[in-house]
Amino acid sequence: MKKALAIVLAILIFIVFALAFVKIPFGEKMSTYPHYYNPITNQTSNMSLPQHYLTYGKNDTGATNMVTAIVVDYRGFDTLGEVTVLFLASTGVGSLMYVENKVKKKVRRSNAVVETGSKLLFGFIILFGAYIFIHGHLTPGGGFPGGAVIASAFLLLYLAYPKFHAKHEKLSVSESIAGLTFVIVGLIGLIIAGYFLYNFLPFGLPTYLFSAGVIPLIYVAIGVKVGSELTAIVDSMMGVRE
Amino acid sequence: MTAVVYIILEIIGYIFISIGTFFLLLASIGLIRMPDVYNRMQTATKATTLGALSVLVGIGLIDLWWLPKSLILAIFIVLTAPIGASALARASYKHGVKLWKGSVVDKYKDEKEED
Amino acid sequence: MDLFTIVSIILIIITVITAIIAAEMKDLLSAAIALGIMSLIVSILFYMLQAPDVAITEAAIGAALSMAVVIFAIRSTERWEK
Repeated sequence: MKKALAIVLAILIFIVFALAFVKIPFGEKMSTYPHYYNPITNQTSNMSLPQHYLTYGKNDTGATNMVTAIVVDYRGFDTLGEVTVLFLASTGVGSLMYVENKVKKKVRRSNAVVETGSKLLFGFIILFGAYIFIHGHLTPGGGFPGGAVIASAFLLLYLAYPKFHAKHEKLSVSESIAGLTFVIVGLIGLIIAGYFLYNFLPFGLPTYLFSAGVIPLIYVAIGVKVGSELTAIVDSMMGVRE
Repeated sequence: MTAVVYIILEIIGYIFISIGTFFLLLASIGLIRMPDVYNRMQTATKATTLGALSVLVGIGLIDLWWLPKSLILAIFIVLTAPIGASALARASYKHGVKLWKGSVVDKYKDEKEED
Repeated sequence: MDLFTIVSIILIIITVITAIIAAEMKDLLSAAIALGIMSLIVSILFYMLQAPDVAITEAAIGAALSMAVVIFAIRSTERWEK
Protein backbone atom coordinates (compact mmCIF):
# COMPACT_ATOMS: atom_id res chain seq x y z
CA MET A 1 0.00 0.00 0.00
CA LYS A 2 2.70 2.42 1.07
CA LYS A 3 4.83 1.53 -1.94
CA ALA A 4 1.95 1.83 -4.39
CA LEU A 5 1.15 5.25 -2.96
CA ALA A 6 4.80 6.29 -3.34
CA ILE A 7 4.85 5.10 -6.95
CA VAL A 8 1.62 6.96 -7.76
CA LEU A 9 3.04 10.09 -6.15
CA ALA A 10 6.28 9.76 -8.13
CA ILE A 11 4.34 9.37 -11.39
CA LEU A 12 2.23 12.43 -10.55
CA ILE A 13 5.33 14.50 -9.83
CA PHE A 14 6.90 13.26 -13.05
CA ILE A 15 3.81 14.30 -15.04
CA VAL A 16 3.82 17.76 -13.44
CA PHE A 17 7.51 18.23 -14.20
CA ALA A 18 7.10 16.95 -17.74
CA LEU A 19 4.23 19.36 -18.35
CA ALA A 20 6.31 22.20 -16.93
CA PHE A 21 9.33 21.39 -19.07
CA VAL A 22 7.38 20.83 -22.28
CA LYS A 23 6.61 24.56 -22.31
CA ILE A 24 10.30 25.51 -22.18
CA PRO A 25 11.79 25.40 -25.68
CA PHE A 26 14.85 23.19 -25.28
CA GLY A 27 17.63 24.37 -27.52
CA GLU A 28 15.32 26.31 -29.80
CA LYS A 29 15.49 29.90 -30.94
CA MET A 30 15.66 32.29 -28.08
CA SER A 31 12.93 34.61 -29.32
CA THR A 32 10.36 32.75 -27.26
CA TYR A 33 12.02 33.74 -23.98
CA PRO A 34 10.74 36.81 -22.07
CA HIS A 35 12.17 40.12 -23.11
CA TYR A 36 14.81 41.98 -21.17
CA TYR A 37 13.53 44.68 -18.86
CA ASN A 38 16.02 47.15 -17.44
CA PRO A 39 14.77 48.37 -14.05
CA ILE A 40 17.14 51.34 -13.90
CA THR A 41 16.34 52.96 -17.24
CA ASN A 42 12.80 51.54 -17.11
CA GLN A 43 12.95 50.26 -20.68
CA THR A 44 12.20 46.95 -22.35
CA SER A 45 14.68 46.01 -25.02
CA ASN A 46 13.48 44.16 -28.09
CA MET A 47 15.94 41.35 -27.41
CA SER A 48 15.12 38.28 -25.39
CA LEU A 49 16.80 37.91 -22.00
CA PRO A 50 19.53 35.33 -22.85
CA GLN A 51 20.26 37.12 -26.10
CA HIS A 52 20.67 40.38 -24.23
CA TYR A 53 23.06 38.79 -21.76
CA LEU A 54 25.12 37.19 -24.50
CA THR A 55 25.28 40.37 -26.57
CA TYR A 56 25.81 43.06 -23.94
CA GLY A 57 27.16 41.01 -21.03
CA LYS A 58 30.79 41.53 -21.89
CA ASN A 59 30.37 45.28 -22.13
CA ASP A 60 28.16 45.47 -19.05
CA THR A 61 30.39 43.50 -16.72
CA GLY A 62 33.77 42.93 -18.40
CA ALA A 63 33.64 39.21 -17.59
CA THR A 64 34.21 36.64 -20.33
CA ASN A 65 32.45 33.85 -18.49
CA MET A 66 28.78 34.68 -18.87
CA VAL A 67 27.70 32.45 -15.98
CA THR A 68 29.93 34.40 -13.61
CA ALA A 69 28.63 37.68 -15.00
CA ILE A 70 25.08 36.59 -14.23
CA VAL A 71 25.83 35.04 -10.85
CA VAL A 72 27.98 37.83 -9.44
CA ASP A 73 26.89 40.91 -11.35
CA TYR A 74 23.31 40.72 -12.62
CA ARG A 75 22.13 38.46 -9.80
CA GLY A 76 24.72 39.39 -7.18
CA PHE A 77 22.22 39.92 -4.40
CA ASP A 78 20.87 36.39 -4.87
CA THR A 79 24.41 35.07 -4.47
CA LEU A 80 24.72 36.88 -1.14
CA GLY A 81 21.56 35.05 -0.07
CA GLU A 82 22.94 31.70 -1.23
CA VAL A 83 26.16 32.17 0.70
CA THR A 84 24.09 33.11 3.75
CA VAL A 85 22.06 29.90 3.37
CA LEU A 86 25.29 27.90 3.30
CA PHE A 87 26.50 29.73 6.40
CA LEU A 88 23.23 28.89 8.18
CA ALA A 89 23.58 25.22 7.18
CA SER A 90 27.12 25.12 8.53
CA THR A 91 26.00 26.76 11.79
CA GLY A 92 23.12 24.30 12.09
CA VAL A 93 25.35 21.27 11.60
CA GLY A 94 27.83 22.67 14.11
CA SER A 95 25.19 23.30 16.77
CA LEU A 96 23.56 19.90 16.20
CA MET A 97 26.79 17.95 16.39
CA TYR A 98 28.20 19.87 19.36
CA VAL A 99 28.70 17.59 22.34
CA GLU A 100 29.32 18.90 25.84
CA ASN A 101 31.27 15.95 27.21
CA LYS A 102 33.34 15.02 24.23
CA VAL A 103 33.48 11.27 23.73
CA LYS A 104 36.72 10.41 22.03
CA LYS A 105 36.45 7.72 19.41
CA LYS A 106 39.35 5.44 18.74
CA VAL A 107 40.53 5.54 15.15
CA ARG A 108 43.18 3.38 13.53
CA ARG A 109 46.22 4.99 12.04
CA SER A 110 46.05 5.07 8.28
CA ASN A 111 48.43 3.68 5.74
CA ALA A 112 51.87 5.24 5.23
CA VAL A 113 51.19 5.47 1.49
CA VAL A 114 47.98 7.38 2.13
CA GLU A 115 49.67 9.74 4.60
CA THR A 116 52.54 10.64 2.29
CA GLY A 117 50.35 10.86 -0.77
CA SER A 118 47.81 13.12 0.84
CA LYS A 119 50.61 15.34 2.11
CA LEU A 120 51.84 15.60 -1.49
CA LEU A 121 48.41 16.15 -3.01
CA PHE A 122 47.05 18.64 -0.47
CA GLY A 123 48.95 21.61 -1.87
CA PHE A 124 48.03 20.76 -5.45
CA ILE A 125 44.34 20.46 -4.63
CA ILE A 126 44.32 23.77 -2.73
CA LEU A 127 46.12 25.38 -5.67
CA PHE A 128 43.55 23.97 -8.09
CA GLY A 129 40.67 25.29 -5.99
CA ALA A 130 42.29 28.72 -5.79
CA TYR A 131 42.81 28.65 -9.56
CA ILE A 132 39.14 27.83 -10.09
CA PHE A 133 37.87 30.76 -8.08
CA ILE A 134 40.52 33.31 -9.05
CA HIS A 135 39.86 32.68 -12.76
CA GLY A 136 36.11 32.53 -12.24
CA HIS A 137 35.46 35.46 -14.58
CA LEU A 138 37.55 33.96 -17.39
CA THR A 139 37.09 30.19 -17.38
CA PRO A 140 34.31 27.86 -16.21
CA GLY A 141 34.15 27.62 -12.47
CA GLY A 142 33.95 30.15 -9.70
CA GLY A 143 33.56 30.59 -6.00
CA PHE A 144 31.28 27.67 -5.28
CA PRO A 145 33.23 24.93 -7.14
CA GLY A 146 36.53 26.36 -5.91
CA GLY A 147 35.38 26.36 -2.31
CA ALA A 148 34.10 22.80 -2.67
CA VAL A 149 37.47 21.67 -4.08
CA ILE A 150 39.30 23.32 -1.17
CA ALA A 151 36.97 21.60 1.29
CA SER A 152 37.65 18.26 -0.41
CA ALA A 153 41.39 18.84 0.09
CA PHE A 154 40.74 19.21 3.81
CA LEU A 155 38.55 16.10 3.65
CA LEU A 156 41.56 14.20 2.28
CA LEU A 157 43.61 15.34 5.27
CA TYR A 158 40.83 14.23 7.63
CA LEU A 159 40.82 10.80 6.03
CA ALA A 160 44.60 10.43 6.07
CA TYR A 161 45.41 11.78 9.52
CA PRO A 162 43.10 10.55 12.26
CA LYS A 163 44.20 13.26 14.67
CA PHE A 164 43.94 16.16 12.25
CA HIS A 165 41.64 19.01 13.19
CA ALA A 166 41.03 22.29 11.43
CA LYS A 167 40.94 25.04 14.02
CA HIS A 168 37.40 26.35 14.25
CA GLU A 169 38.58 29.80 15.34
CA LYS A 170 40.67 30.25 12.21
CA LEU A 171 37.86 28.92 10.01
CA SER A 172 35.39 31.35 11.51
CA VAL A 173 37.86 34.23 11.12
CA SER A 174 38.47 33.53 7.42
CA GLU A 175 34.76 32.96 6.83
CA SER A 176 33.81 36.26 8.51
CA ILE A 177 36.47 38.22 6.65
CA ALA A 178 35.27 36.80 3.32
CA GLY A 179 31.63 37.60 4.10
CA LEU A 180 32.57 41.11 5.22
CA THR A 181 34.50 41.67 1.98
CA PHE A 182 31.45 40.72 -0.06
CA VAL A 183 29.11 43.03 1.86
CA ILE A 184 31.59 45.93 2.00
CA VAL A 185 32.24 45.77 -1.75
CA GLY A 186 28.50 45.81 -2.31
CA LEU A 187 28.03 48.74 0.08
CA ILE A 188 30.78 50.77 -1.59
CA GLY A 189 28.87 50.32 -4.84
CA LEU A 190 25.72 51.46 -3.04
CA ILE A 191 27.47 54.62 -1.86
CA ILE A 192 29.04 55.44 -5.23
CA ALA A 193 26.28 54.69 -7.71
CA GLY A 194 23.15 54.16 -5.68
CA TYR A 195 22.67 50.43 -5.98
CA PHE A 196 24.11 47.39 -4.27
CA LEU A 197 27.12 45.67 -5.93
CA TYR A 198 27.78 48.43 -8.45
CA ASN A 199 30.90 47.53 -10.40
CA PHE A 200 33.01 50.54 -9.42
CA LEU A 201 36.47 49.33 -10.45
CA PRO A 202 37.73 49.78 -14.04
CA PHE A 203 36.85 46.86 -16.28
CA GLY A 204 40.24 46.50 -17.97
CA LEU A 205 40.74 44.33 -21.02
CA PRO A 206 38.54 41.28 -21.30
CA THR A 207 40.25 37.85 -21.04
CA TYR A 208 42.96 39.32 -18.77
CA LEU A 209 43.26 38.32 -15.12
CA PHE A 210 42.84 41.86 -13.80
CA SER A 211 39.59 42.63 -15.54
CA ALA A 212 35.88 42.73 -14.85
CA GLY A 213 36.12 45.19 -11.93
CA VAL A 214 34.90 43.80 -8.62
CA ILE A 215 33.82 40.38 -9.93
CA PRO A 216 37.13 38.56 -9.17
CA LEU A 217 37.26 40.22 -5.75
CA ILE A 218 33.78 39.00 -4.88
CA TYR A 219 34.42 35.54 -6.28
CA VAL A 220 37.61 35.14 -4.23
CA ALA A 221 35.61 36.13 -1.16
CA ILE A 222 32.88 33.62 -2.04
CA GLY A 223 35.48 30.90 -2.62
CA VAL A 224 37.13 31.42 0.77
CA LYS A 225 33.75 31.60 2.48
CA VAL A 226 32.36 28.45 0.86
CA GLY A 227 35.61 26.58 1.47
CA SER A 228 35.73 27.40 5.17
CA GLU A 229 32.01 26.68 5.64
CA LEU A 230 32.19 23.26 3.97
CA THR A 231 35.35 22.45 5.92
CA ALA A 232 33.54 23.37 9.13
CA ILE A 233 30.65 21.06 8.15
CA VAL A 234 33.05 18.17 7.50
CA ASP A 235 34.88 18.91 10.74
CA SER A 236 31.76 18.87 12.86
CA MET A 237 30.45 15.73 11.13
CA MET A 238 33.77 14.01 11.80
CA GLY A 239 33.37 14.35 15.56
CA VAL A 240 36.12 14.27 18.15
CA ARG A 241 38.70 11.56 17.62
CA GLU A 242 41.67 10.23 19.43
CA MET B 1 59.18 20.05 -43.16
CA THR B 2 57.12 20.94 -40.12
CA ALA B 3 54.06 19.30 -41.67
CA VAL B 4 55.95 16.00 -41.89
CA VAL B 5 56.96 16.31 -38.22
CA TYR B 6 53.36 16.93 -37.24
CA ILE B 7 52.17 13.92 -39.23
CA ILE B 8 54.80 11.71 -37.60
CA LEU B 9 53.84 13.01 -34.16
CA GLU B 10 50.20 12.30 -34.90
CA ILE B 11 50.98 8.73 -35.97
CA ILE B 12 53.01 8.20 -32.78
CA GLY B 13 50.15 9.66 -30.78
CA TYR B 14 47.65 7.26 -32.32
CA ILE B 15 50.01 4.36 -31.57
CA PHE B 16 50.15 5.49 -27.94
CA ILE B 17 46.37 5.74 -27.80
CA SER B 18 45.96 2.24 -29.21
CA ILE B 19 48.40 0.82 -26.66
CA GLY B 20 46.50 2.63 -23.92
CA THR B 21 43.11 1.36 -25.00
CA PHE B 22 44.57 -2.16 -25.26
CA PHE B 23 45.72 -1.97 -21.65
CA LEU B 24 42.36 -0.57 -20.57
CA LEU B 25 40.67 -3.51 -22.28
CA LEU B 26 43.02 -5.91 -20.47
CA ALA B 27 42.18 -4.21 -17.19
CA SER B 28 38.46 -4.61 -17.73
CA ILE B 29 38.89 -8.28 -18.69
CA GLY B 30 41.02 -8.76 -15.57
CA LEU B 31 38.30 -7.24 -13.43
CA ILE B 32 35.99 -10.05 -14.50
CA ARG B 33 38.52 -12.89 -14.60
CA MET B 34 40.53 -12.36 -11.41
CA PRO B 35 39.64 -14.56 -8.43
CA ASP B 36 39.60 -12.19 -5.42
CA VAL B 37 39.41 -8.53 -4.40
CA TYR B 38 43.15 -7.92 -4.21
CA ASN B 39 43.95 -9.32 -7.63
CA ARG B 40 41.11 -7.28 -9.12
CA MET B 41 42.46 -4.20 -7.37
CA GLN B 42 45.81 -4.85 -8.98
CA THR B 43 44.40 -5.04 -12.50
CA ALA B 44 42.15 -2.08 -11.85
CA THR B 45 45.07 0.13 -10.86
CA LYS B 46 48.23 -1.07 -12.58
CA ALA B 47 46.82 -1.71 -16.03
CA THR B 48 44.44 1.24 -15.86
CA THR B 49 47.21 3.62 -14.81
CA LEU B 50 49.39 2.55 -17.73
CA GLY B 51 46.47 2.72 -20.14
CA ALA B 52 45.32 6.15 -19.04
CA LEU B 53 48.89 7.46 -19.07
CA SER B 54 49.58 6.37 -22.62
CA VAL B 55 46.18 7.66 -23.81
CA LEU B 56 46.99 11.05 -22.26
CA VAL B 57 50.48 11.14 -23.79
CA GLY B 58 49.00 10.19 -27.16
CA ILE B 59 46.45 13.01 -26.97
CA GLY B 60 49.25 15.40 -26.09
CA LEU B 61 51.29 14.28 -29.09
CA ILE B 62 48.39 14.62 -31.52
CA ASP B 63 47.70 18.20 -30.47
CA LEU B 64 50.83 19.74 -28.96
CA TRP B 65 48.86 22.52 -27.25
CA TRP B 66 47.32 19.90 -25.02
CA LEU B 67 50.63 18.32 -24.01
CA PRO B 68 51.20 20.36 -20.78
CA LYS B 69 47.62 19.83 -19.64
CA SER B 70 47.69 16.11 -20.37
CA LEU B 71 51.05 15.77 -18.59
CA ILE B 72 49.60 17.45 -15.50
CA LEU B 73 46.66 15.04 -15.68
CA ALA B 74 49.12 12.16 -16.00
CA ILE B 75 50.99 13.31 -12.88
CA PHE B 76 47.69 13.45 -11.01
CA ILE B 77 46.80 9.92 -12.09
CA VAL B 78 50.23 8.62 -11.10
CA LEU B 79 49.83 10.22 -7.67
CA THR B 80 46.22 9.30 -6.95
CA ALA B 81 45.64 5.80 -8.34
CA PRO B 82 48.13 3.92 -6.10
CA ILE B 83 46.98 5.85 -3.02
CA GLY B 84 43.35 4.96 -3.61
CA ALA B 85 44.20 1.34 -4.36
CA SER B 86 46.35 0.88 -1.26
CA ALA B 87 43.72 2.51 0.95
CA LEU B 88 40.98 0.28 -0.51
CA ALA B 89 43.08 -2.88 -0.20
CA ARG B 90 43.98 -2.13 3.40
CA ALA B 91 40.38 -1.30 4.27
CA SER B 92 39.12 -4.55 2.76
CA TYR B 93 41.84 -6.52 4.56
CA LYS B 94 40.96 -4.95 7.90
CA HIS B 95 37.34 -5.69 7.14
CA GLY B 96 38.17 -9.35 6.88
CA VAL B 97 37.98 -10.09 3.17
CA LYS B 98 39.69 -13.43 2.60
CA LEU B 99 42.61 -13.87 0.23
CA TRP B 100 42.37 -16.22 -2.71
CA LYS B 101 43.42 -19.75 -1.69
CA GLY B 102 46.29 -19.76 -4.19
CA SER B 103 47.93 -16.66 -2.67
CA VAL B 104 51.54 -17.01 -1.61
CA VAL B 105 52.46 -13.90 0.39
CA ASP B 106 50.44 -12.19 3.13
CA LYS B 107 52.53 -9.37 4.54
CA TYR B 108 49.63 -7.59 6.20
CA LYS B 109 49.22 -10.56 8.54
CA ASP B 110 52.53 -9.91 10.29
CA GLU B 111 51.71 -6.23 10.61
CA LYS B 112 48.34 -7.09 12.09
CA GLU B 113 49.95 -9.27 14.75
CA GLU B 114 52.17 -6.39 15.77
CA ASP B 115 49.20 -4.09 16.45
CA MET C 1 20.62 8.82 -33.70
CA ASP C 2 24.00 10.39 -33.30
CA LEU C 3 26.65 9.42 -30.76
CA PHE C 4 25.74 12.22 -28.38
CA THR C 5 22.14 11.03 -28.01
CA ILE C 6 23.15 7.40 -27.52
CA VAL C 7 25.76 8.22 -24.87
CA SER C 8 23.41 10.55 -23.02
CA ILE C 9 20.62 7.95 -23.06
CA ILE C 10 22.99 5.32 -21.64
CA LEU C 11 24.15 7.73 -18.94
CA ILE C 12 20.56 8.65 -18.03
CA ILE C 13 19.65 4.96 -17.73
CA ILE C 14 22.65 4.37 -15.43
CA THR C 15 21.61 7.40 -13.37
CA VAL C 16 18.10 6.02 -12.89
CA ILE C 17 19.43 2.56 -11.99
CA THR C 18 21.89 3.92 -9.41
CA ALA C 19 19.15 6.14 -7.96
CA ILE C 20 16.88 3.11 -7.53
CA ILE C 21 19.74 1.15 -5.94
CA ALA C 22 20.42 4.04 -3.56
CA ALA C 23 16.78 4.13 -2.53
CA GLU C 24 16.24 0.37 -2.19
CA MET C 25 19.50 -0.92 -0.66
CA LYS C 26 19.26 -2.20 2.91
CA ASP C 27 23.00 -1.71 3.31
CA LEU C 28 23.26 2.05 3.78
CA LEU C 29 26.97 2.17 2.94
CA SER C 30 26.29 0.67 -0.50
CA ALA C 31 23.41 3.10 -0.90
CA ALA C 32 25.74 6.02 -0.16
CA ILE C 33 28.26 4.75 -2.71
CA ALA C 34 25.48 4.38 -5.30
CA LEU C 35 24.49 7.96 -4.56
CA GLY C 36 28.07 9.07 -5.18
CA ILE C 37 28.16 7.22 -8.52
CA MET C 38 24.87 8.88 -9.45
CA SER C 39 26.30 12.33 -8.72
CA LEU C 40 29.38 11.56 -10.80
CA ILE C 41 27.32 10.48 -13.81
CA VAL C 42 25.02 13.47 -13.44
CA SER C 43 28.10 15.69 -13.50
CA ILE C 44 29.23 14.02 -16.73
CA LEU C 45 25.77 14.73 -18.14
CA PHE C 46 26.06 18.38 -17.09
CA TYR C 47 29.39 18.58 -18.85
CA MET C 48 27.89 17.07 -22.01
CA LEU C 49 25.10 19.64 -21.90
CA GLN C 50 27.79 22.37 -21.89
CA ALA C 51 27.49 23.46 -18.29
CA PRO C 52 31.05 22.92 -17.01
CA ASP C 53 30.48 25.22 -14.02
CA VAL C 54 27.71 23.03 -12.69
CA ALA C 55 29.68 19.90 -13.60
CA ILE C 56 32.66 20.91 -11.43
CA THR C 57 30.38 21.83 -8.53
CA GLU C 58 28.40 18.60 -8.81
CA ALA C 59 31.55 16.47 -8.98
CA ALA C 60 33.12 18.14 -5.95
CA ILE C 61 30.05 18.43 -3.75
CA GLY C 62 27.93 15.48 -4.87
CA ALA C 63 30.59 12.86 -5.36
CA ALA C 64 33.07 13.85 -2.66
CA LEU C 65 31.70 16.02 0.12
CA SER C 66 28.08 14.95 0.48
CA MET C 67 29.05 11.28 0.21
CA ALA C 68 31.67 11.78 2.92
CA VAL C 69 29.14 13.51 5.15
CA VAL C 70 26.62 10.70 4.62
CA ILE C 71 29.27 8.07 5.39
CA PHE C 72 30.27 9.89 8.60
CA ALA C 73 26.60 9.93 9.58
CA ILE C 74 26.32 6.18 8.89
CA ARG C 75 29.45 5.53 10.92
CA SER C 76 28.06 7.29 13.96
CA THR C 77 24.67 5.52 13.69
CA GLU C 78 23.97 2.11 12.15
CA ARG C 79 24.93 0.53 8.89
CA TRP C 80 21.88 -1.63 8.17
CA GLU C 81 18.41 -0.35 7.51
CA LYS C 82 15.76 -2.10 9.57
